[in-house]
Amino acid sequence: MDTSQLLKGVLDLAVLAVLRKEDGYGYDVLRRLRQGGLDGVGDASVYGTLRRLYNAGLLTSYVVPSEEGPHRKYYSLNEPGRTRLLESGKTWKSFAQALDDLLGEGA
Amino acid sequence: MSTQTNAEVQHYLDRMREALSDLPAAEVGEIMDDAGAHVVEVAEEMGEEFSLAALTDRLGTPHAYARELRAAAGYPSPAAVDVPTGSRPVVLARFALWSLVACTAIGFGFGLSGGDGEELLLLIGLCAAAATVLVFRQSALPPEIARLPETVALKDGLKRLEQGDTQRVLASLRTFQPVWWVGRALLIGSVAMMSYRGGGLTALLALALGALSLVAGPKARTDRRWLWISLPATGFALGVLLLILGSLASRFDGPSPVQASYNPQPPTPGNIYVFDKDGKPLTDVHLYDENGRPLDTPWYGCDGRSHGDDNRYPRPRVVHDENGCREVPGVPPFAIVLPSAAPSTTTAPQTTTAPQTPPATSPATSTPLTTPPATTQAPQPTTVTPTS
Repeated sequence: MDTSQLLKGVLDLAVLAVLRKEDGYGYDVLRRLRQGGLDGVGDASVYGTLRRLYNAGLLTSYVVPSEEGPHRKYYSLNEPGRTRLLESGKTWKSFAQALDDLLGEGA
Repeated sequence: MSTQTNAEVQHYLDRMREALSDLPAAEVGEIMDDAGAHVVEVAEEMGEEFSLAALTDRLGTPHAYARELRAAAGYPSPAAVDVPTGSRPVVLARFALWSLVACTAIGFGFGLSGGDGEELLLLIGLCAAAATVLVFRQSALPPEIARLPETVALKDGLKRLEQGDTQRVLASLRTFQPVWWVGRALLIGSVAMMSYRGGGLTALLALALGALSLVAGPKARTDRRWLWISLPATGFALGVLLLILGSLASRFDGPSPVQASYNPQPPTPGNIYVFDKDGKPLTDVHLYDENGRPLDTPWYGCDGRSHGDDNRYPRPRVVHDENGCREVPGVPPFAIVLPSAAPSTTTAPQTTTAPQTPPATSPATSTPLTTPPATTQAPQPTTVTPTS
């Protein structure tokens, strides 16, 4: 099964999740997602998702000047973001549970 | 990071910014802060192994990157963006695209015709030059051209063409591309040589185009703007190639056969006058050929209309004079010269004098016959003046 199709639906949740514990800039978020096992996630998709979540008011951002190279824009979860993460997390868990049950021992 | 790397990363980012240029400027700035830093970081990671190709391999083309980002960010796709036409150089884009098409077609025709219509070439050349300058100067133009509905349709058509069996053919042709680039330059250069004595303008244009086409070929692979030079050059070179092949083929065919036209109908004159053996004009004669078919000819009267074909001669003459047009029946008063009858003829023509031993002084001065006419009569012209 093509995981990129699955990822599309849950990338919001995944990005919110990796920002829960610690703020991060784009490349940082990307690395954490990949380390977490989501290898198929596209670079541009992560940046696009960050912009969408930010525009939806679920993230705040601040710029950290860098000694070498370009400055970095960090994203952090705000209150609406945390609420959304909680809700979406619940939805996902029940969804995943339902699908697990459907698949049963077969998978 | 080396300056070379810098330039290439900058090029990548510029293309990306172009692909996002329809979005609000503030949003583009935010995206470029994020994604720009990302591209730079990826490039730095590559270190010594960095190249534009490697970067594109890792991140996709700038356009693909922008497209993926747009989709994830939920921005409208560029085609759906309703930006007022005035703020986008649609007219210029269209001009540039169609100039390219026209110039390629005209280049082909010009090459094929062996250089006819220099004025037309000059006109189209000016259009093409303007389009080329526009495309190279206005950075917003190439993406706008790519966005034109006709371009999208054209690309779809080409893509469909490239599928299936033609794909393999095209792939194998592609390996010969460098050969074609050189051949193309040579073909165009040969035109410069051929037309050097004829017209300085064509020679100069062809020489410049030949040199430019050599550069444009490889450049156009990565930079579509060079198509504005490469495609017309290809059209022109193909035309010249066909012209040369055509003239070679006709040379090996030997001289072309003379076009003989066979007309089964003997040419019919406008009118026919018939005289009997005495030089008397005959009227109302019907003429037939050896198969019994009437020798019909059309006849046009004073009204200019055909009066139908028939075979009765002579036809009335149509005379135009100060009184207008008249149809005059009968035989015009002209002198004819009849060959005299065969030696066996016993009756001499009335109006002729008998043959004389001394040369005749005049037919009019009829003197008594010194020798009987007939058998010894030498052939002698008979002059007749028909009456009526």
